[in-house]
Amino acid sequence: MSDAVTRPLRPARNWALIIGAVTAVTLMTWWSGRGIRFSLTELACNLPGGRRLLVESWPPEFSFFPRLLAPLLETLQIAVVGTVIGGILAVPVAVLAARNLTPGFLVWFVDRNFMNILRTLPDLFWAMLFAAAVGFGPIAGALALTVFTVAVISKLWSESLEAIDMGVPEAVRASGGSWLQMLQFGAIPQALPHYVSYALYAFELNVRASMILGLVGAGGIGMVLETQRSTFEYPRVTLIVLSVLVIVLIIEQVSESIRRRLI
Amino acid sequence: MIREAAIRFEGARVVYPNGAVGLASVDLSIAPGEFVVVVGSSGAGKSTLLRAVNGLTPLSAGSVAVQGQPVPRSEGRALRRLRAQVGMIFQDFRITRRLTVMTNVLVGRVAHVPAWRAMLNLWPAADREIAFRALERVGITDKAWVRAGDLSGGQQQRVGIARALAQEPAIILADEPVASLDPVTTHQIMRDLVRINQELGITTVVNLHFLDLARRYGQRIVGLRNGEVVYDGRAESVTQEDFRHIYGRDPDAGDVLDGQAAR
Amino acid sequence: MTPGTTLQPPAGIGWATRVTLVIAFTFLICAWAIDLTPAALANLPRQMAMVLSFFYPADMDYGWSRVLPALLESIHIAWIGTIIGAAISLPLALLGARTLFPRIARLVKLISATARAFPEILLAIYFVPIVGLGAFAGALAIGISSVGMLTKLGAEVVESIDMGPVEAVQAAGGSRLLALRYAVVPQVLPEIVAHWLFRFELNIRASAVLGVVGAGGVGGVLLNTLRYRHFEKAAAVLLLTIVVVLIIDMMSGAIRRRLLR
Repeated sequence: MSDAVTRPLRPARNWALIIGAVTAVTLMTWWSGRGIRFSLTELACNLPGGRRLLVESWPPEFSFFPRLLAPLLETLQIAVVGTVIGGILAVPVAVLAARNLTPGFLVWFVDRNFMNILRTLPDLFWAMLFAAAVGFGPIAGALALTVFTVAVISKLWSESLEAIDMGVPEAVRASGGSWLQMLQFGAIPQALPHYVSYALYAFELNVRASMILGLVGAGGIGMVLETQRSTFEYPRVTLIVLSVLVIVLIIEQVSESIRRRLI
Repeated sequence: MIREAAIRFEGARVVYPNGAVGLASVDLSIAPGEFVVVVGSSGAGKSTLLRAVNGLTPLSAGSVAVQGQPVPRSEGRALRRLRAQVGMIFQDFRITRRLTVMTNVLVGRVAHVPAWRAMLNLWPAADREIAFRALERVGITDKAWVRAGDLSGGQQQRVGIARALAQEPAIILADEPVASLDPVTTHQIMRDLVRINQELGITTVVNLHFLDLARRYGQRIVGLRNGEVVYDGRAESVTQEDFRHIYGRDPDAGDVLDGQAAR
Repeated sequence: MTPGTTLQPPAGIGWATRVTLVIAFTFLICAWAIDLTPAALANLPRQMAMVLSFFYPADMDYGWSRVLPALLESIHIAWIGTIIGAAISLPLALLGARTLFPRIARLVKLISATARAFPEILLAIYFVPIVGLGAFAGALAIGISSVGMLTKLGAEVVESIDMGPVEAVQAAGGSRLLALRYAVVPQVLPEIVAHWLFRFELNIRASAVLGVVGAGGVGGVLLNTLRYRHFEKAAAVLLLTIVVVLIIDMMSGAIRRRLLR
């Protein structure tokens, strides 16, 4: 205890990593800034016209509202259909992608990659694809949301399924139950509240998404938005945007309060 | 009294916003260089007493003065200047686990260096020297550049003590400093505190739950009950009867450290 | 089991069945309203198969010459949007934490909720006429909605931290700003940066779509190829988008896992 321990030198920082990360972020930002072609002159040219448009877009044209009712209703119908079909299809996709429940590695591997690929494409891409396949209209929208719902629910729920207590499912198997019985009585009941919660969450996302599907011809209020937007009827655009916001917020509030009670 | 008291409470009263009384009415004077142990059952006001000294808990009535300076009741420069002279050690260490030991100790210097230097982590060499000496005093110099969260509980508390020492304080407040440590480490930490008090002459006030520790390490024992000082005397003269009075019941095995270790 | 006990069915079952029936009924009405009849469903596989057959072979010449630059533009939009979101949301996340700034936090949370309420594409509809057709409008739209989401998530991270060290810095005479510097930021930064990266992954998808309203990126290319029935070109768009997004997801995911370790 007589003399002090020698003071350790401060370990060298990992300068290569720090400089590398800073350089990478800076370069990427510089490159992206050029990539989006930000130019003050162009901004200056557009600003007066843009300001006029912005001034014009308020107040919204409320008299246009009656013509929005049917498309808004159709939008919600699209969301309901997409959520229900997608919610059902998501069940097998999620179960097969759960490491603890899947019947075999190959099935798991294929299903997991299928799930990841579904997730790479944004909702509007699916809407464009289905609109090209089955024609413009709400069916294309409902199909797009079906795919989107499968992607959302299966990813989240397969993680909940992986976190369940395997005691009961293994007991069902040990007492001679089949794989399906194991799922039905052992595994799924445990993760059912999560499933309902994720389904509601997907419904929120779908209501939001369904509002803009029409921009690419997949039915609902977005189709009205697209015609008014392309003819620069911004007072009507504002009305549409506001009604969309109100509906989205109401649905989210209701759904969130249900979800909070579930888990 | 010739010398100014290090800490002087006069009619100090703390009532919390929920109506609970933290301190009923406390008159207490602690001389420079004293080693005082405060005992009492939980809820007796031990923490409130300590936290009133550095203004973490403001008084509702009465006054508390540190070296003759009244403690301001609201946050601000005056209170920060006072806190710079008062080091505090906590039951749960309160170090930032993701930072190195050295940086945690340098936090003790925040009030002594220009704010911009502290903000940029650019500490003057003199302050680094003080931090190193603080680490040497608690014997963890070799851990200076280790992530604080990677240390054992006892070592983390030493980081907390070193941080307080780095303030070069006139007073050290230790709020249940050993309550989350094992018996062996507990004695080491208590010995450290006594040694620091004797070698540097820093006035030290320690809250303890365990009676045997209080009697073994304290010079003076202050007993609190329901926010009032009900005992104040030399540690060697405290009796079983005094403890009964402080706790309002017979002390049992839970009130002595060695009783705990034996179980 | 003792002979006296009878097994009661769990009380929730009647309730659950009723909810299921209501959902099924609503679904049938909605499906009927949008003309999704069993016949239409039966027709679906054939239609899909036909369109898919047009997709082969993908026109990769078009892919390299036109799609890749558009994808790159989408990445640029997403990156700038994420940088805007990260830079503005970091101070807002601290201010939005109830545990640190009880009064300001409510206001900050309101601002972030408003920014989140607008889907990016609706924001872009306004930005395009203001700042001009193109990627800059997209980057602004993505940036604003990223600020909203990252502020909310960041504030939640800050609210979940151990407040002990914050008090310790203040007990040593440090100001609130220094408490943020030494007790809050070190605790939250890895998780917040992980949120930035995750947001970047989402922004790639969001920016890919913005071309639909003329705000740059690959979405406009897909819309045009499909509109003119150039399915081999559309196939190139889809293929390259999937590959690029998967690669970015993997890189970002790897960095996130290292950060949170």
